[in-house]
Amino acid sequence: MLSNGTAIALEGISKRYFLRAQRPEDIKTTVLHLPSFLKRSNGGRPLWALDDVSFSVKRGESLGVIGPNGSGKSTLLKIIADLAPPTRGKVEVAGRISALLELGAGFHPRITGRENAILNAVLLGLSKKEALEALPHIIAFSELGNFIDEPMRTYSSGMYVRLGFSVAVHVRPDVLLVDEVLAVGDGEFQQKCFDHIAKLRANGVTIVFVSHDLGSVTRFCDRAILLQHGQMQVEGDSLPVVQEYLDRIAAFLSRTVSS
Amino acid sequence: MTAEDSATGPLNGRGRSWSAIIPQRFFRTWELLYLLTARELKLRYQDTILGFVWSVLKPLMLGLVLYVIFSHVARIATNGMPLQLVILPALFAWTWFSSSMIMSAPAIANNGNLIKKVHFPRYVLPFSTIANNMVHFLLTIPIIMIFVLATGRHPNYTWLIGIPILTVLELLLLMGAVLFVSAVDVYFRDLEHLLEVFLNFAFYATPIIYQLSNLGKYQNLALINPMASLIEAWRNLLVLNQLPSLLDIWPCLAGTVAAVLIGSFVFGRLEKGFADAV
Repeated sequence: MLSNGTAIALEGISKRYFLRAQRPEDIKTTVLHLPSFLKRSNGGRPLWALDDVSFSVKRGESLGVIGPNGSGKSTLLKIIADLAPPTRGKVEVAGRISALLELGAGFHPRITGRENAILNAVLLGLSKKEALEALPHIIAFSELGNFIDEPMRTYSSGMYVRLGFSVAVHVRPDVLLVDEVLAVGDGEFQQKCFDHIAKLRANGVTIVFVSHDLGSVTRFCDRAILLQHGQMQVEGDSLPVVQEYLDRIAAFLSRTVSS
Repeated sequence: MTAEDSATGPLNGRGRSWSAIIPQRFFRTWELLYLLTARELKLRYQDTILGFVWSVLKPLMLGLVLYVIFSHVARIATNGMPLQLVILPALFAWTWFSSSMIMSAPAIANNGNLIKKVHFPRYVLPFSTIANNMVHFLLTIPIIMIFVLATGRHPNYTWLIGIPILTVLELLLLMGAVLFVSAVDVYFRDLEHLLEVFLNFAFYATPIIYQLSNLGKYQNLALINPMASLIEAWRNLLVLNQLPSLLDIWPCLAGTVAAVLIGSFVFGRLEKGFADAV
């Protein structure tokens, strides 16, 4: 059980994937390797995408997750969102999660924006009644106007993303997971999204924010963690953590340049 | 731990009390199933000229082909039942089963994007294809009625009792079967192809173009297949106005219980790994 005031708690989270480099190719090798094939290791090399990561986030707090590509940031969000189980460790989350891992996942191009918005809202956790109540706000926020009743195949990619974001933030989450999705749409809409997230944050929504945009991490997040090779390197207030990350990048660059 | 654990209410974490939220969870899952099914139904014949007519026309065409073959090329004894009545009710009920199986096997494996990114009860994906095909099956019942009336028979009250019973039975059997195939298919995609071959075989092993009585002493062997007694029950109901009796339908009942138990066990075991495997 989570203690009062804690929204997310991770304890010793590790996640192992198996690389399929040595996947058996023909029937004979498959049969010969059947035991390992069934265990799904496929004789592949294990890769620890996350290695003993522990932290907790208080209710209403926003946490930035930074680190280079392949450091385990997205895997971490997937585990918090309960989309994939951790290999080891324990996760606890209080309240309704909305995961902005991909905007408009499940949108179908051949039905209208309105129909997609309702289905998507229910998929993300609303009841149909709540979805219908939220619909006018979703449509207004997306600024799609009359396009809302056109099939989504006629949408530009920007319009697609706008609707996806509008639905996701109107699910009224207690915990919002954001994975780099705001790097889309035009500047004006991006600003609008940030403003909306700021509003959610002011209303006590807990936010976990994965981004390479270190500026917005410092602006948005109370705290941050730095991941590298699946391990948590630094944890603390967002500005020093970002500073540390930049120092590491600088150190890495000067090493590469001098060698 | 299933999909919406974290999707309901201000409850604590993932080890909270379940009892309070079960109705709400159930209700939302139901709505999701409804919306997905409505979308599939809408999409299926969108942009076609004949639209929903296809859902009646396709099984009818297949019925015609089978009728011509088994009335002119290879005759079978029908015990006095008109051949079209032997074939059509059985064929339509079978089509619901086989189309659902074929369509739902890749329902999880092909929706990787959704499975990886969104949290929702995964079983709604295969279940919505069953519901979709069920609607198409129910639409063909009036056609069966026309054929029955055309031979001077009269449907009676037994239809009102029998159709819901057999529909629920076939639905449950499908739910179990589909949970199994859609979950296993994520890890073993050969299953889709195996299933196609298997269903082709099952079409002939099930009394669709013949009646169970044609099999003589092999009847008991055929009844191992739960669809055999079910198809026979559909035909007896729709052609002879006979309500299904426990004595005849028990192989299907037993198969359904087994399918539901095995299906939900296997699905429950494999479900956690879907997002990593698709």
